[in-house]
Amino acid sequence: MTDPMSDDELMALVGEAVAEEAVVSDRRRTAARAAFAWRSVDAELAELLHDSALAAGAAVRSDGDESRTLSFGHSGLTLEIEVDGEVLLGQVIGAGGASAATEPASVLLERPDADAQSAVADASGFFRLEGVRPGTVRFVVEQGGWSLTTPWVAL
Amino acid sequence: MDRFLPLVDAIIRGHRLNEADGDDVSQTVWLRLVEHLGDLREPAALPGWLRTTTRNECLRLLAARGRIRPVDPQDATGLDAVVDDSAGTDLLAAESRQLLREALAELPEARRALLLLLLADPPVGYEEISRRLGIPIGSIGPTRARALDQLRRVPALRRLVEVTP
Repeated sequence: MTDPMSDDELMALVGEAVAEEAVVSDRRRTAARAAFAWRSVDAELAELLHDSALAAGAAVRSDGDESRTLSFGHSGLTLEIEVDGEVLLGQVIGAGGASAATEPASVLLERPDADAQSAVADASGFFRLEGVRPGTVRFVVEQGGWSLTTPWVAL
Repeated sequence: MDRFLPLVDAIIRGHRLNEADGDDVSQTVWLRLVEHLGDLREPAALPGWLRTTTRNECLRLLAARGRIRPVDPQDATGLDAVVDDSAGTDLLAAESRQLLREALAELPEARRALLLLLLADPPVGYEEISRRLGIPIGSIGPTRARALDQLRRVPALRRLVEVTP
């Protein structure tokens, strides 16, 4: 067993714990509170199927300027994106009923603290967004009554 | 939620992200929490969930930025050793400090106020503490000891003793 901490040791730890509270920036505090405005009760989220930043080998990549690829899926729709600098290329792929949709897919890139960007996919499901800055985003895809909302992800 | 901000913040700091990436991780974690509020029915599970999610988002962004560098294979204390061991200990320590803040919040107001005054920077003298709290100078020491004993008895804090070298 470890010796119990002395009063002075415990006091020092209390000091560290209290100090941690004071260093949280107002910016982070405000952003955290604002997150609760995004609560939606009915949203069933797409699943993250792949993220190149989580894939084996990502940890030993040395240059850091390779593009990042992510893919999400939900109820017949798959969204694949590739981010290279501030250019985002994506494809919406429908399966089953969603593949029969005749109208093009619409894609919304949402941010908690800025206006959304939107794009309409071409007949093959491809779309392109420019000026995509780093930050926390999520995607909302709609096509012929099918929709997909991704979890939030930091790009 | 406010009381868990320092926990998330401390874990982000431990991963040495730059300020902007740290802001993004923090924001992502809270947005993810909002997505998952419905699944998190057990409040006791929240600190663990925040710890895991924050750590994963930090590692993910570090990888996306190419900030995790390859290490010399000759070096026995390679990437895995460094990341796993230090991060693991840091995480437990961060969570322990969270428990300590919560235990502090549970103390009777007079005891908590005394501990905070004793920790004040710049330091506050005993006479001033006595005047502000309306207690005799002679009872400051014993009250401090009782307050610390009370913190020590919080079951969740026993781990803290083991984490601290």
